[in-house]
Amino acid sequence: MEKDKNGKLKIGVYELTGCAGDALLILDCEKELVSIFKAANIQSFLMAKSDNIDGELDIALVEGSVSTEREKEELLDIRKRAKVVVAIGTCACFGGIQAAFLDKKEWEKNFKKVYGDIKMEHTKPVQSKPINVYIKVDHYLPGCPIGKEQFLSTFNRIIRGNPPELYGFSVCVECKWNENDCLLNKDIPCLGPVTRAGCGSICINHNLPCVGCWGPVEDANLTSEFKLLREKGFDYDFIKKKMATFSGTGMADFLGKLEGEKK
Amino acid sequence: MKKISVDHLARVEGSGGISVTIDGKVVTDVKFSIFEGPRLVERLTLGKTPEEDVNIVPRICAICSISHKYAAIRAMENALSVKVPSKVVQFRELMHLGEMIESHSLHLYYLALPDYVGFPNAIAMASEYELEVKIALEMKGFGNHIMKTASGRYIHGENPVIGGFGKFPSKEELIWIKNRAIQFMPFVLKTTELFCELDYPDSPEDDTIYACCNPGQKKYGFAGDEIILSTGEIIEKEDYKNLTNEFVVSHSYAKRSRYKGEPYSVGALARVNNLGERLKGKAGGMFKKYFNNRWKKNPLFNNAAQALEILYAFERIPKIIDKMIKLPDPPIVKYTKKEGKGTGIVEAPRGLLIHSYEVSDGFVSFTDIVTPTAQNAEDIERYCCIAAQKLLNSGEEDKIRDRMELVVRAFDPCISCSAHMAEVKKAPEEDWKTKLDKIMKEGSPIFIGVGNRNRSDDGAGIELALELRKHGMKDILLESEINEREAPWKNRNYRPLIFLDAVDFREKPGKVTLVPIHYIFSNSALSHRLLPFISDEMNYERLKNSFVLGVQPKSITEGKKISRPVRQALIRVLELIVN
Repeated sequence: MEKDKNGKLKIGVYELTGCAGDALLILDCEKELVSIFKAANIQSFLMAKSDNIDGELDIALVEGSVSTEREKEELLDIRKRAKVVVAIGTCACFGGIQAAFLDKKEWEKNFKKVYGDIKMEHTKPVQSKPINVYIKVDHYLPGCPIGKEQFLSTFNRIIRGNPPELYGFSVCVECKWNENDCLLNKDIPCLGPVTRAGCGSICINHNLPCVGCWGPVEDANLTSEFKLLREKGFDYDFIKKKMATFSGTGMADFLGKLEGEKK
Repeated sequence: MKKISVDHLARVEGSGGISVTIDGKVVTDVKFSIFEGPRLVERLTLGKTPEEDVNIVPRICAICSISHKYAAIRAMENALSVKVPSKVVQFRELMHLGEMIESHSLHLYYLALPDYVGFPNAIAMASEYELEVKIALEMKGFGNHIMKTASGRYIHGENPVIGGFGKFPSKEELIWIKNRAIQFMPFVLKTTELFCELDYPDSPEDDTIYACCNPGQKKYGFAGDEIILSTGEIIEKEDYKNLTNEFVVSHSYAKRSRYKGEPYSVGALARVNNLGERLKGKAGGMFKKYFNNRWKKNPLFNNAAQALEILYAFERIPKIIDKMIKLPDPPIVKYTKKEGKGTGIVEAPRGLLIHSYEVSDGFVSFTDIVTPTAQNAEDIERYCCIAAQKLLNSGEEDKIRDRMELVVRAFDPCISCSAHMAEVKKAPEEDWKTKLDKIMKEGSPIFIGVGNRNRSDDGAGIELALELRKHGMKDILLESEINEREAPWKNRNYRPLIFLDAVDFREKPGKVTLVPIHYIFSNSALSHRLLPFISDEMNYERLKNSFVLGVQPKSITEGKKISRPVRQALIRVLELIVN
């Protein structure tokens, strides 16, 4: 990657539709924030500064899912300008909570219920989707919101041209490190086994079940989790909705297959 | 056509913009747009369990995530008749104070202050105010620490649940927080003085209605069961729709609110205006020292109000912790009810936040969430219009863009709640023709001629009205014919009203402008002598449908005839209306 005249990489932080939690988490790195701004040329970061430049970029960090035509165009433009695109947060990686309407018709019906028949002047709404539906994504950093430690280590690695090293296992591994009792053994519906690690099993540390907010871990045994919860007496729709809440399109195939089997 | 634009409103949370259209010397339109895409969060919660709802809704906004969780929990506990023990109440207040400190310090030092000391961002500001920026960061970090202790992590922690908390902090952790709060006091006092003494420009000043939670008799605070207005009215939380009256506009995915047809404001400034008298201790002292009439009508003082609230929070924390450490950790309260309706209201850092639910057979069957920024949107537009018009009058057009951003930022909008960009547009020269054509197509307007025929061009409005009559047009009135009791604006059928008048826009003589009537009222320098009393008598719907078709006079000397450029303009208008 090329560096600017001061020897720094040009970086942009962009927010699409979401809660701005990932951008906020970057601002929450109080002690490290000054170092982040020193280590790289943060060319664009709307939440943090007003003198933003939309030029060529080495790295673009993109938060949020695409839910309007305007965002789709903005994303395509970011991809054109950036050498490396990193999806930050569950919304950018998997679509987030707003991508829980897996079916387009269902989404359209709900949109109408909220906004009626009004025609939007500035941009057309589209069903919420993760950014890799529209562009090639180089790296993913999931989390709702992303975790501080994982963000700092990933930032450190990518500005040196290395790929991020994320945990390739589920929350259960972190949960065992923290020596928690398994909540599933207590018949509490926990999504730990199918959810990507990185949060430090924070909910279970607080005696509360994992809600799945970091999205599905690769190679998750979804069928096994589903069967286990069924055996514990939970209702088919309840489990389906629970698994779909944060994973957006990440669960679509699996849930689609389930639907097929049910019929 | 001229357009001054800031394409993305920076240093606010989320994606939105503000645009102002200028026709000559008049601001003709202001739009606060929210580009943040639609997320349909309310619909996403349907069919979920109350617990799952409480997991989902804080994701509306990262900055107010605790407030969303708190409001949702209050609403659900209300619906499911869950009563929580005192320690839970105390711990919830503590977590909420953490969010207030975090959000207010982030807004004041990172987002707002750089404008007042002339830097593009807080990092650049640190070059000159290194110590202040560092301590401010630590103060914000302290707020984060409380939030993390209470909820499990900085953002979207899941520890607060319906019926209590998954886990309580140890006595040692609580005492550490108390001592740290006491240590911060000197800097907190400095912060309050700094933001109360900032030089706030007076351009966006006008009266409004302020609304906030009433935390109980004689108490200051951030949660309650009723809404209190600056008019003295009280609204029960279940009747919140009487306040909010939400509606959709086509330039924003965030809904809008008006109270009795009027825009209103929520946030720290609303709380300080409505409840400030109740502040005690050092915060009470600072309130008495700094509060004045300008706080009642200038949204920029929201910054001062937030600083005052940081002080309030720091004084409150040791008291809560003293109570908490005496109480045992209660288990989560279990409930059996599967049905019910409930509303929960809290003050998010940026204002009144309402969650309302219905639970049927154990699942959410109705959800309504009203966010503070959605309620502020109408007032944000109104104050931007006022500020832009005043600057235009004083010939400081180049300042409009920055001033509007200052106003928007002062409201501390949390655009994710729904919602980047300040934009100033110039209307095209012949814009009045298109507008008039549109009004006439949408409904048949009543024309009202206004002016004085003895004073040359000032008689233009009357002259035009009489000419229209000669051409056989109906519904033409003269100023002198209007009976106050049966005035056309009292009619509820809301046909458009078009006042015909000579209006001094400081333009070249004969220039025709068509503007909504409230753009004339919002500025005394332009108001000519246009029936001033009607501004009080018109409601918002009526105002929206009333316009002034103004012609720039050349002279208004007594006894002279109408000047040539004005006469030519009248002929142009006449032709358009008649045809």
